[in-house]
Amino acid sequence: MPTTAESNVLLQGTLDLLILKTLAIEPMHGWGVAQRIQQISNEVLQIGQGSLYPALHRLEYRGWIRAEWASSENNRRAKFYSLTAAGRKQLKAELQSWDRISAAIALVLGRKAEVPA
Amino acid sequence: MSSAWFTDLLTRLTAFLRTAARQNSKNNLNEELQFHLEQSIQANLAAGMTANEARRQALLEFGGIEQAREETYRQRPGWLLETLLQDTRYALRGFLRNPAFTVTVIATLALGIGATTAVFSVVDRILFRSLPYAQDDRLVSLVQSFEKQEFTLGGFYYEWRDNQKPFAQMTFERGTGACNLTDANPLALQCAEIAGNFLPTFGIAPVLGRNFLPEEDLPHGPRVALLSYGLWRTRFNQDPNVLNQTIHIDGHPTRIVGVLPANFEMPRLQQTDLVLPAAMDIAAQHTVNSGIGYPMWAFARLKPGISIAQAKAEMEPLFLHTQQWIPAQIRQDFHLQVRSLRDRQMQEAYMGAWVLLGSVLAVLIIACANVVSLFSARAAMRERELAVRSALGAGRGRLVRQALIEAFLLALAGALTGCALAAVLLHAFLAIAPTGIPFLAQARLDLRIVCFSILLAFLCAIMVGIVPALQKPRPGALAARAIGSGNRPGVRLRRSLVIAQIAVSVILISCAGLLLKSFQNLERQALGMATSDVLTVTVPLNAERYSSGRAYMDFYLGTETALRSLPGVTSVAISDSLPPDGNSGIRFDEIFVAGRAPTPTGTGGIVIVRKVTPDYFRVLHIPTLQGRSFDEKDRNASGNVIILSKLLATRLFPQGDAVGRRMQFATFQPYFALDPTVFTVVGVAADVKNDDLASQVEPEYYTVRSSDHDLDSWGSRHYRFAVESQLPASVMAAAIRAQIAKIDPTAPVHVEPLTESVSRLADRPRFETALLGFFALTGLILAIIGLYGVMAYISAQRTQEIGVRMALGANRADILRLMAREGIALLLVGEVIGLATALAFSQLLRSLLFNISPRDPLTFLCVGSLLAIVALIATLVPARAATRVDPIVALRCE
Repeated sequence: MPTTAESNVLLQGTLDLLILKTLAIEPMHGWGVAQRIQQISNEVLQIGQGSLYPALHRLEYRGWIRAEWASSENNRRAKFYSLTAAGRKQLKAELQSWDRISAAIALVLGRKAEVPA
Repeated sequence: MSSAWFTDLLTRLTAFLRTAARQNSKNNLNEELQFHLEQSIQANLAAGMTANEARRQALLEFGGIEQAREETYRQRPGWLLETLLQDTRYALRGFLRNPAFTVTVIATLALGIGATTAVFSVVDRILFRSLPYAQDDRLVSLVQSFEKQEFTLGGFYYEWRDNQKPFAQMTFERGTGACNLTDANPLALQCAEIAGNFLPTFGIAPVLGRNFLPEEDLPHGPRVALLSYGLWRTRFNQDPNVLNQTIHIDGHPTRIVGVLPANFEMPRLQQTDLVLPAAMDIAAQHTVNSGIGYPMWAFARLKPGISIAQAKAEMEPLFLHTQQWIPAQIRQDFHLQVRSLRDRQMQEAYMGAWVLLGSVLAVLIIACANVVSLFSARAAMRERELAVRSALGAGRGRLVRQALIEAFLLALAGALTGCALAAVLLHAFLAIAPTGIPFLAQARLDLRIVCFSILLAFLCAIMVGIVPALQKPRPGALAARAIGSGNRPGVRLRRSLVIAQIAVSVILISCAGLLLKSFQNLERQALGMATSDVLTVTVPLNAERYSSGRAYMDFYLGTETALRSLPGVTSVAISDSLPPDGNSGIRFDEIFVAGRAPTPTGTGGIVIVRKVTPDYFRVLHIPTLQGRSFDEKDRNASGNVIILSKLLATRLFPQGDAVGRRMQFATFQPYFALDPTVFTVVGVAADVKNDDLASQVEPEYYTVRSSDHDLDSWGSRHYRFAVESQLPASVMAAAIRAQIAKIDPTAPVHVEPLTESVSRLADRPRFETALLGFFALTGLILAIIGLYGVMAYISAQRTQEIGVRMALGANRADILRLMAREGIALLLVGEVIGLATALAFSQLLRSLLFNISPRDPLTFLCVGSLLAIVALIATLVPARAATRVDPIVALRCE
């Protein structure tokens, strides 16, 4: 059972990045986003709905993602989120800054890391 | 009708849209969350859980739905504004529930802000305004002071100018005098004479045309003039072609060379329509006027880095050098005076302005104390509400914001009302203000002070609004209110505030009381003459039409006869001036009594001189104490007769044998020679208030303006007629104008009841008294509101205690005593502090008081008892209400 503490470990702003990255692959509903992040991270990152939905709505209000109601795989009405053009740009910018910061942190911690080109 | 319908529609529409939008987004969110939950259950089922277990686990994993919903909702861009509106609505509802509190706070703030703003707008012009000159703080007035007068003498000025070091520039003006514009539609004007470098020294540039040229500032130079902006506008319609036009000033053709800026004013603030070059004959200044030159008023611009004190020290040797030309007898009475222009301008207005400012600050303090007190009382009552809201999950931030919004709303309402009040008050001030106070007419609501007052209101409100919200709810605040009130938070604060308010009110009312008493003394003092049924008539004649003393005499005597013939006129007199206005005087040592050694020079002060026609004493009802009054024969007889005032007679002839004695006067060409004219004392008249209302009576003597023997003495355009008549002034004024127009149609005529001229002398004390009285009253009302509020609050807090006491057998008198004791204690402490402070500082008012000691015991006694009575009522009313509590209700109350 993942504890909430574990998901709190996520850096401030990292959740936004994860959501954007996940939605870059294909439009998805909230549940899908949470599942996808969990799968890809080998069950390490568990996103509680308490932070997922505020984040989704925040991104929507910022215009980085857009939402549409559509039928889900099991024919239920669900809200699907997809990346907007502004969202793509934002994703790119956040990825770059993530690379920079993680490299910097790695240096500080004395771990070998690939310095991004 | 249709607009109301439209507004209604609009309101409904917005309300509908708003709820619809919110409902929609709420439903969507619910559906989304629901979907998530169902997916989670599906996943659990797929993992092989039972239906119940799947649901339980899903819900567990999901966490607080409501929290998530709230958090998501908070992401909306409009969320902050929405909660702000919510808080505002909540605050407004709270105000409506408690209208007494709301109205009191708003009224208090409005009074405080209104009064402060209005008064500050008035005194700002006097105390803090910037003068309309370049670098006005570098300008000084540079004069010799002699007794009450300040002037410079031409003979000295040029000596100073040529040898001084501390000033970048020195200049002068020769004063303002009546002059007439004698073109078609003649106009009485005020003409000032200024030096050629006057405008550049003050940094004044004409808006049109130019300053005087050096050759125009020479004796017998071309006659030129600069128009004031006002005259240019009213008389010449702001016509730019006015330049180089020729107008006639007192008959002399004069060329207009420029127009002064709209904000131009003479440094001594004389009303001025026209400025002319002084055109001084510098060489003559050592010969004219007994060799000391013509009087003038000098001003200078300090060199950079030189202080006024330095300038005075540097000028002192020059001053002592020029003192040699002053006759030795009076040399010691001359002093050099260098002071800033601002001080020079505001000499008399300063004190009143500071008193006014002080009083209004006192009102502001009381108002703020009231607001603090009211808010803290309210906070105490709402302690429970805050505790409940906090328990229900309202964050500290939210509570603080709520408090801020309430404070903001109240301050806003108070400020708006206050500004409206300020406008009304300022209007009222200007309506009752005397003309003598500089710049009052231009006083406008000052934006800076409006902002300042509003800011202050906000600070007061925020400070007291926010403190209870910041406090952690006390344990037990949620429980029923504790019995007893004495140690509740804020009660001590409110008590000290009430004490402070009462003390400040006592100070305010004491000052107002002293001024009021002083004003009464001034108004009711015996003037020594009749003022009712007397009209004064002034006729500033056009000098061009009167070429000789005889021409003037013919006008004056002809007018006298014409006025006497008017029906309803009892008697008519001509005098150079009328009391209580001071007239020109001589010095006591200039009087020589036949057969007696001259008085030592430099002693004795001023003696007022008036040259009158015989009916003067009849018109003003001044009784003759010894000998006789003047009669018509004295006008034509060659013998020179004189009447002394009682004061002068007593000083000259202490034995009471004045009548029949002979006197002569000093002349000044040569200096202090004996004038051969011998006067015989024919009578002693009663003393008349003759040197303004507030000063001591000065000794005075009267001589007759004879008809033929002394034609020179008629050569003035400024004599006054005093006309006694029982008919209404308005009727008489028209008849008088008509009569004078028959004699000289070009002469402007000014008719005024003597009572009005006298009353005008009391205008300033009246104004000061009215304003201070107003503030004292405002302060008192506010303080009483504060006291009442605190007492009412305390008795409401003690309802339960009172119920217990009454159930245990206390009767109403006991309760009343219990409750009143609290209020009376506050009252006494406040009164004692206030009276002590007022007694300590009332000395400062001394210069504003007339015939009353700054520690007048009667006034202080009255003030003390007045406040005690009013405050007692404010205490007893809520205390009495407390005694009406039904014990059963009181005990159930919690």
